Amino acid sequence: MAVSVAPKAPAATAKGSRRSKRGGMAIAERRAGLLFVSPYLIYFLILQLGALIFAIWVSFHHYDLLAIDNPFVGLRNYARLTINEDFLIAMRNTTEYAVVVVVLQTVFALLLAVLLDSKIKGRNFFRSTWYTPSIASSVVISMIFLYVYHPTGLLNSILGLVGIHTTEAYLESTTWALPALMFLAIWTTAPTFMLMFLAALQDIPKEVYEAAAVDGASGVRKLFSITIPLLRPIIFLVVSLGIIGSFQVFDQMFIMTSGGPLKATLSVALLIYDNLFKDTGTVGVACAEAIVLGLIIFALTLISRRVIDTRIEY
Amino acid sequence: MSISGKSLEAELTAPIAIATMPAKPRRETDSTDRVSALEAVVRYALYIAITLFLFIPFVMTVLSSFKTSAEVIAFPPTLLPTVWHPENYLHVLTQIDGFPRMVFNSFFITFAAVALNLFFDSLVGYAFARLEFPYKNTLFAIMIATMVIPGFVFIVPRYILMLNVHLVNTYGALLVLYFLQPAYILLMTQFFKSIPRDLEEAAIVDGMGWFGIFWKIILPLARPALLATGILTFAGMWNGFFDWLIYMQDATMFNIQLGLTTFRSVYQNQWDLIMAGSVLAILPILIVYIAGQRYFVRGIATTGMK
Repeated sequence: MAVSVAPKAPAATAKGSRRSKRGGMAIAERRAGLLFVSPYLIYFLILQLGALIFAIWVSFHHYDLLAIDNPFVGLRNYARLTINEDFLIAMRNTTEYAVVVVVLQTVFALLLAVLLDSKIKGRNFFRSTWYTPSIASSVVISMIFLYVYHPTGLLNSILGLVGIHTTEAYLESTTWALPALMFLAIWTTAPTFMLMFLAALQDIPKEVYEAAAVDGASGVRKLFSITIPLLRPIIFLVVSLGIIGSFQVFDQMFIMTSGGPLKATLSVALLIYDNLFKDTGTVGVACAEAIVLGLIIFALTLISRRVIDTRIEY
Repeated sequence: MSISGKSLEAELTAPIAIATMPAKPRRETDSTDRVSALEAVVRYALYIAITLFLFIPFVMTVLSSFKTSAEVIAFPPTLLPTVWHPENYLHVLTQIDGFPRMVFNSFFITFAAVALNLFFDSLVGYAFARLEFPYKNTLFAIMIATMVIPGFVFIVPRYILMLNVHLVNTYGALLVLYFLQPAYILLMTQFFKSIPRDLEEAAIVDGMGWFGIFWKIILPLARPALLATGILTFAGMWNGFFDWLIYMQDATMFNIQLGLTTFRSVYQNQWDLIMAGSVLAILPILIVYIAGQRYFVRGIATTGMK
C-alpha cells in the first residue's frame, strides 16, 4: 500500500531550470518538499493518527473480529476494567515490575557507564562485551534464561559452586517468577542505556572535575554533585524509555511463563494479547486496556520529567 | 514488542539519544588520581566480575549447544561438553520442520526493510532538514511527539487494518509497518543539517533538480548516517518477534525468532536444539555488530553536532 507510493520524484527533477526566478524556485522547493515528505505523511495519517482514532472508536464498542455488527457500549469496556480481576492483577504485577526494573536498570546502567568512562586498559573490550546482552533478541534472551533458571540450570549450578545447594524451579514459583523476569530485564536492558550514559559522560568537560578536585571533592562527592546533575536530561530519557518499555513488557512473559504460575507474571500487555487473540468478543476490551496503559505511561513520563526537572532537546 | 525496557520505542530511540550527543575529543582522566597497585587489582577484579556477570550466559549457551540435551541440564553440571556434538547444528537445520524457510524469511524481511528504510528515512529526513514546505515544522513536531506513543495502543487497529487489506500472514504486513521509521528519519534529519549547504547551492545553480541533488550529491555524503540507520534497522528487524507473532499464522511465514519459541512446545526439553538454535539466531546480528561497530561509532560521532 504505502510502499507503492515511492516518490521517484519525476516532478521534482525537472524543476531546476527555474533557477533564474526566485519565486519559481520556491514553488519547486515546496513541491519537492511535500513530495519527499509524503511517505511519512501517509504513514502518520494511516498507521498513527488513523490507528489511534480507530483504537478509541473500537474501545467504545463490543467488538469481535468476525462479527458483522459491533454494538456501541459507551464506556462499559473501561468501567469493567475497574472490576476485572485479571486486569487488576496484571496492573499490579506490571507496576511492581516496572518500578523495580526502571530504578535498578537506570542505576546499573549509570554504574557501568561511569566504570567505562575511565582510562582503564581494555576499555573497548569491556564496552563491547558488556553491551552483548543488548544485541541479542528477546527470544534468544528468553531461551538462555529458561536454561539459567532451570532447576539444574546455570543459576543453581553457580549457587552450588559457592555451597548453596538448591533445585528451586524459579519460573514455577509464585515468589520467584516475577523477580526472575525483572532480573532478566535489567540484565539485558542496562547495557543499552549504558551506551547512552557513556556518550553523555564523555561530553562533560574535564575542567568541571578539575575545579572540584581543587576544592578537595572526593570521587563519590563528584559523582553526586557534578556528574548526576549534569546528566539530568539523559537520566530523564533513560527513565522514560524504561517506563515505556517495562509497562509494555510482553515477550518474556509470553515465552517463559505464559503469565503463570497462578497469574504471578500476568502483565497488562499479555492480557491485551489474550483478549485480542484467545478470547472472543473482547477486542473492545483489549483496546480499552491498551489506551488505559498508554495514558498511564504518558502520565508517568510527565511526572518523571517534573521530578527529574529537565528537558530533552533533539 | 517489548522485553522489559527494551521496547520497540527504546530500540528505536536509543540510538537517537546517542546520535544527538555532541562528539568531543575524550578528556584525559584526572591525573591527580594516583592509583595504588592494590586499588588497581580491586578495580580489575570488579571489571572482570561484571564481564563474567554479563557474558557468562552467552559462553555457557555456546558450550551447551555442543552438549547432549541431558548434559545441558545435568546434575552435577559440566563446563565443557564431555563429548562435542557439532551435529546439533545440523539437527536444527534438518530436523526442525521448516527451519531453513524461517531463516530465509528472517533474511528476506530484514534486507527488504533495510533497503526501504535507507531510501525513505533519508528522503523524508532530507525534506525536513533542507526543504521549505508548508506545515514543515508542525509535521516535524508531530513526528517527534508520536514517537513516544506506546506501541500497544496501535496493535488492535493495525491488526484490523491488515485483516481488511488481506495482508495478514504475508510479508506485506511487516513491510507496510516498517517501510520507514520515525526515529531514523530523525537521525537522518540531524545528519543532513550538519552538511554544509555550499554543494547544494552549486548544484542548484547548475540547474539540478531536488531529487537529483538528494540522490547524487547528498546521499553519497550521508554514508555514516546511512550505515547507522541500516545497521540499527537490521538489528531491529532481525530480532523482531512480536509483529511476527501477531501477523504470521503459518509456520512457513515464521522468522527464526518466532520459530525458536516453538522449539519449546514442539520439541519439548530438547535443550541441545534450543541452545544451537539460539546461537544460530544470534549469529548474524553478532557479525553485523562486530563488523559495523566502527561505522556505527563514526555515524554517532558525525551525527552528534552541537
